[in-house]
Amino acid sequence: MSQSDSAARGLGRKHNLLFWLTPAVAALGGIAYLVAAFAGGRPVLGVVLMAMMLLFAAGLVLAARRSETIRGLMDHRDERLTGIDLRATAAAGLALIVAVLIGAFVELGRGHSGAPYTWLGAIAGVTYIFAVLVQRVRQ
Amino acid sequence: MELVVTGNLVRELRVAENLSQADLAAALGVSRQTVNSIETGRYTPSLALAIALARFFATTVEEVFHVAER
Repeated sequence: MSQSDSAARGLGRKHNLLFWLTPAVAALGGIAYLVAAFAGGRPVLGVVLMAMMLLFAAGLVLAARRSETIRGLMDHRDERLTGIDLRATAAAGLALIVAVLIGAFVELGRGHSGAPYTWLGAIAGVTYIFAVLVQRVRQ
Repeated sequence: MELVVTGNLVRELRVAENLSQADLAAALGVSRQTVNSIETGRYTPSLALAIALARFFATTVEEVFHVAER
């Protein structure tokens, strides 16, 4: 192993708490799926969904060992990758908002109230305004 | 007055110190990709990282990063 390799690998070995946040949320989501599916009378589905979420969490941790990008997206130590993560998250949020708006239009067109899409859109709008106000004070 | 970064000497300084991109990345606590992106001018680092780079090479930010008025 070259000095370069050992330096790069050494950077990735010490994970901070943020690194474990995404796998932990995925694992907790899996448990929530299991509990919800059990409550809904579909325990097999719950087990399958939980297994998928646990596999996703484990896959992330394993992939982070090999990929500098995945590791950087998870531990937020690298400012460039953190910026990329922020913009990608914004793009995903924008796609979701567009989907919610289309859903609301379709529901209204069918003669319904537009719920739950209108509520989801309202949550997105209020959250955006709140985030702008908070960031304005902080920066 | 708006300044734009027109180039930098990170690659030259790194090579002069006989360091790989991974070595510099490890020293600065960033990824090797980020060092590469800075060297090629695709990414302009934050002020904190620019200062860290300049301090690492025992020079100033303005010596490392070249700017011009737009």
